[in-house]
Amino acid sequence: MLSYYDIDDILLGEEPISVVFQIGANGVGLLDPGSETNNVEKSAKVDLPFWLAHELFLRQAVSINVPSCYSLKTRKEIQADAACVDLRFRSPYFYELGCKLLPLVADKSIGPFLRYTFTSRYKEILCKSHSITGATPKFSSKLTKEESLLLEAARSSMVAFKKWRVGGSRLEKASILGRKRKPTMPTQPSGP
Amino acid sequence: MAGQSNPHLSIFSAPEVEFLAEDEVVEIVPNIKMDAVNMICGDFGPFFPQIATKVPLWLAVALKKRGKCSIRPPEWMFVERLTHVLEAERESPREFQPLPFHYVEMSKLLLDNAHEDIPDIYMVRSLIEDIRDVRFHKVETGLETISGRTHAVKLKNLSAMEVNIVRPFMVRALQAFYKHDSPEMIQQPESTVNRRAQVVDRGPRNIFVTVTGLNMILSVVAKSRDAFVVNNASFGAAAAAVSTTVMNCSL
Amino acid sequence: MERGEAAKRRGGGGGGHGGKKRCRSSEEGVEEREGGAGDPALRGWPSSEGREQIQLLEETLDEFTENRSDDLVVSLYQMDLDRALFLLRSYLRIRLQKIENYMVHISKTNLWNRLSEQEQRFAKRCIEIMEKHLEQSVLSRLPYGYQSMLKQSISSEEDDMVPEPQLDTFVFCKTKSDVGAFQLDDTGEEIVDLVADDLYVLRYKSIRGLVDGGRIDLV
Repeated sequence: MLSYYDIDDILLGEEPISVVFQIGANGVGLLDPGSETNNVEKSAKVDLPFWLAHELFLRQAVSINVPSCYSLKTRKEIQADAACVDLRFRSPYFYELGCKLLPLVADKSIGPFLRYTFTSRYKEILCKSHSITGATPKFSSKLTKEESLLLEAARSSMVAFKKWRVGGSRLEKASILGRKRKPTMPTQPSGP
Repeated sequence: MAGQSNPHLSIFSAPEVEFLAEDEVVEIVPNIKMDAVNMICGDFGPFFPQIATKVPLWLAVALKKRGKCSIRPPEWMFVERLTHVLEAERESPREFQPLPFHYVEMSKLLLDNAHEDIPDIYMVRSLIEDIRDVRFHKVETGLETISGRTHAVKLKNLSAMEVNIVRPFMVRALQAFYKHDSPEMIQQPESTVNRRAQVVDRGPRNIFVTVTGLNMILSVVAKSRDAFVVNNASFGAAAAAVSTTVMNCSL
Repeated sequence: MERGEAAKRRGGGGGGHGGKKRCRSSEEGVEEREGGAGDPALRGWPSSEGREQIQLLEETLDEFTENRSDDLVVSLYQMDLDRALFLLRSYLRIRLQKIENYMVHISKTNLWNRLSEQEQRFAKRCIEIMEKHLEQSVLSRLPYGYQSMLKQSISSEEDDMVPEPQLDTFVFCKTKSDVGAFQLDDTGEEIVDLVADDLYVLRYKSIRGLVDGGRIDLV
């Protein structure tokens, strides 16, 4: 279960999703900028944030269109040169959104497509990850959230190691730790 | 600081790994007489001039810094032995040579604090660097071969610091593959897709072929009990035999 | 020179397995820290003994200082003590961190029994403070039905706002002895032969039993 307080999960919910209303909805005209009344007509095509689209889908009020980042055009680009595609621009939550959409749409090929995309881009991320000079800002800026976390995990770990290797500060003692503890309170755990 | 390293990036910081390595035992030759010491970490000594004795590395370094002993480098830290290890590392791309679990940290502590006790110190330093580089390159080559859901990776003889360096990336990568190559994600396409999937076996998730109508990836998960892990005890092999092979082909 | 009562006690009784104790608490430290990615509180509270050891060492140190013993010896004992305290503090901090992160989850499960008395008090206070804070800043202003700290709304069937540790992750671990063929997934399709003293990356969920049983160490 994803944590309720997970910021990425919250931001993911804001991603716009194109839906088609299966029923007419009265009083929610603000959802449809093209609506002249305060209602959304049946078959109206509207962009909604993912969280709302999901809820309405569960109530069978809308059907969900596959977002353009999983379109045939994107797939062809990924196939041509996976690492060059600016996925962050399409959706920083490309993978997470894809996983959540999969049960909601008829096109089950999104699953294999996500795997193919990740697998192809993974190689590129890997070879740039543990060398400090490897990843140019240009490369990093095309990565989705998940990919850049992966890259950053490796990079910062390598930086920390190199820092340790050339010396750097050994564990530094906070001044309070050096003080001798009073024998009257030997069981007091140190605070966070 | 203790416990303040970011738990999401790396569980230990490099200095913390070094701290753990300081409990490794080394041999010193004291130049003073001193009674035995009863430490929390054990009893050491008594110490007599010119009589070798074993103490934890931190104690050795402490005595060394005060000019009270010389440290005998461990037997793996000599040029001849290291040269041999380096050659072996280069010759066997699929396995790591056995070295102490804390070899990176121990060698750094000894090279920094006991330089006059280590013969051919420059050579030793550069050999250890080379060994670490070769080994890390192998780790990366291994990581390169992960291409699908992997339940287990065996990394025989990988050392503490090497684990610590690769851990953040590897854990994330394995998790990502685990998620993206899950049966829920890779289900058989439904009839809306213009080409029907040919389902070889619906039961176990080990064998199935998925054809996506649009991008034509054929993915075969090999059915093999051992395939996901190394047979011959090395990471390279593990990674090579990782359970999923993704091939690009036109159907 | 008289080495002091405490030193004798240590030398006689505790000294012999002193080494083991350190090792053990160090391992626990390691495991607890590793558990940051895994279980919120892997082990029961271990170390009233460890605390005694430290107290004993502090007494020894005091005696040495009073008796004006050799500076070198005093400084070595001081270092030993510092290292033990460092480890203990590190260990306590990790536990406190986990408690802070997952306090409600811990309080609802049998993980609660793994906390020391002080930790239980800490967790209780944490929960109270968090409750009060959320209550005052947000919850009291929400309409009826949305005022729970645990449930998103009154229609939630279970507590769906409680952060839980992510157990479905990979960990690095070392086998202590041969485990033999070990099943890694629910269906029994994935089996690995765990050989003594090998290093593996495995899913925490699947090896949790081995970790709890002390047959495998997290590194």
